[in-house]
Amino acid sequence: MNTKLLCRGSLVVLVVLTALYLVAPVFFVIPTSFNDSSFLEFPPKAFSTRWYEAYFQDPAWINATLNSLQIGVWVTILSVILGTAAALAMVRGRYPVKALVSGLVLAPVLVPYVIIGLAVYAVFLKIGLTQSILGFVLVHTALAVPFVVINVSAALVSFDERLEMAAMSLGANRVTTFLRITLPCIAPSVAAGALFAFITSFDEVVTSVFLAGPDVSTLPVQMWSGVRVQIDPTVAAVSTMLLLVTLALFASAGLVRLFRARRLAKVA
Amino acid sequence: MSQNTSTSTSTSTSALAGTGVSIDIRNVVKRYKSMTAVDDVSLSIEPGEFLTLLGSSGSGKSTLLNIIAGFISADSGAIEVGGKDLTKVPPYRRDLGMVFQHYALFPHMSVWDNVAFPLKRRRISKAQVAERVQRALDVVELGHLGKRRPTQLSGGQQQRVALARAIVFQPQALLMDEPLGALDKRLREQLQLEIKRLHRELGTTFVFVTHDQEEALAMSDRIAVLRDGALVQVGTPVELYERPASRYTAEFLGESNIFTGRNHGVDEGSALVVRPEHVRLSAVGSALPTGHNAVDGVVREVVYLGSGLRVEVALPDGRHLITRSEVRGALTPSPGLPVAAHWHPEHALVVRDDTAA
Ligand SMILES: Nc1ncnc2c1ncn2[C@@H]1O[C@H](COP(=O)(O)OP(=O)(O)OP(=O)(O)O)[C@@H](O)[C@H]1O
Ligand SMILES: [Mg+2]
Repeated sequence: MNTKLLCRGSLVVLVVLTALYLVAPVFFVIPTSFNDSSFLEFPPKAFSTRWYEAYFQDPAWINATLNSLQIGVWVTILSVILGTAAALAMVRGRYPVKALVSGLVLAPVLVPYVIIGLAVYAVFLKIGLTQSILGFVLVHTALAVPFVVINVSAALVSFDERLEMAAMSLGANRVTTFLRITLPCIAPSVAAGALFAFITSFDEVVTSVFLAGPDVSTLPVQMWSGVRVQIDPTVAAVSTMLLLVTLALFASAGLVRLFRARRLAKVA
Repeated sequence: MSQNTSTSTSTSTSALAGTGVSIDIRNVVKRYKSMTAVDDVSLSIEPGEFLTLLGSSGSGKSTLLNIIAGFISADSGAIEVGGKDLTKVPPYRRDLGMVFQHYALFPHMSVWDNVAFPLKRRRISKAQVAERVQRALDVVELGHLGKRRPTQLSGGQQQRVALARAIVFQPQALLMDEPLGALDKRLREQLQLEIKRLHRELGTTFVFVTHDQEEALAMSDRIAVLRDGALVQVGTPVELYERPASRYTAEFLGESNIFTGRNHGVDEGSALVVRPEHVRLSAVGSALPTGHNAVDGVVREVVYLGSGLRVEVALPDGRHLITRSEVRGALTPSPGLPVAAHWHPEHALVVRDDTAA
């Protein structure tokens, strides 16, 4: 009895410590963003929103944000299409070099990003794709595709192929069957993959540092140089806003799921 | 004005009636690596016939059905439906309804949308779609549940929706792969009757797959027995039961007593089949009807079936013999009682013994 209690107690302590460790930066970042000082100072001495104003008034920050959003949207669209197609080929396809193809598609997760960034930089410099939106989109898509593939292929594995057979026996050709039956059934996983893809791009620093420059930069790169060059508290303000946006994204995903479940339950 | 006396259900069914087409299976072969799933099967199914593919697990029933439906391509051979060669036609242009064991209803659509799905693929006017969906749902007595999702229905209801969906577009034929396999016994028997009724009222050709011999006997016009991918025998239920061509068929359909060997007067490679209902029991030493064959044994077990008795008699060679008789026979069997089991020779069928390994 006593040992059981002890086990439980230490488990609770461990969980709380882990959780604290994970969210600790938040307790640092949010107060710092409302600081009046010109340094990243903790704990803050006076309250102010001047770093939020600084963000909105600096075209460099705004441009970087708009670039990141634009790149993120393109990456999401491209990687969802490519990743879903790749997942279909990996789960359903019957061809000899399947294992090799799967390995290649998933490789970007395993190869260190520094190496990818360096390699891409060498090539893109030659063909003039550094400091271009297209360059970012291409690299981020390669990094994001595996996340879509992992999500969608898991859904395809558990999807009952007999639904497709049923649809075809009822007169639906392959395209109609995919669009009307398969896709709606795996849609939640495709959406999850899309969310991962967007965040992968929006969050990417390592490879982006190689591609960015004075002309075209992204938000994470801007933040990175913000701390590296001048220790600019605007970074804390941006981090806080990003945190809110991420929270909102996940909360809305959760709400959608909840409403779906509710609606299903209601009809019963 | 004349009163319409027929029920709404049967008018609905007749409006959905199709015309039966013939299905010809010609020398179909399908191999997977070293094993032959369908072994040179040729079979002609008559227009409007209810044909059952019967066989044990792994005998190739599903493979053959999926070759007819177009989901599996045969290595060689041809499928003709209504005289047209469909071997190279994709499944979605074959116009064959299909019902699966696990219903295969589209989970993201309502019952109504499931049934409307095949009609929408065929560019039929909205009013027509609505009318025919309602009719098909009425036929399976689910007209009031159109708004539900498949997950909100019982297994039996789901399979009825699947049936409605498969008949609503008046396919040339209906293919069913163990459609009742996932249901409990009562429901299975109820749906057996319903499928029979549908077949009668629609007049469509039905190809039904089952491994349940009772189901096959109860439902079919003809039964095709498959074994290891090969066709063993085709015939009406009565033919297969009363005149099995081989020991395998005799043992697979219904209960049977098998005798082999010279001391029963049977040649090598043959077997003697006696159905349990033809075996009678008498006291040892009592006079038997003239000409009857007999073996002596001891009653081992008596099971009361309501309609009769099922008696197992242990024979001297260690095997046992099964009889079925009325409850009030001349003899009241009880375990341990020595008896003479006997039958008229016309009920002893000599068949090919094809079960030797
Ligand atoms: N895709 C496949 N690859 C390899 N072997 C297969 C494949 N599909 C079926 N088989 C084999 O072919 C044989 C026939 O299979 P089939 O599914 O037609 O049997 P069945 O009569 O429908 O059995 P059940 O009553 O269990 O459904 C089996 O031995 C099976 O293992
Ligand atoms: Mg099967």
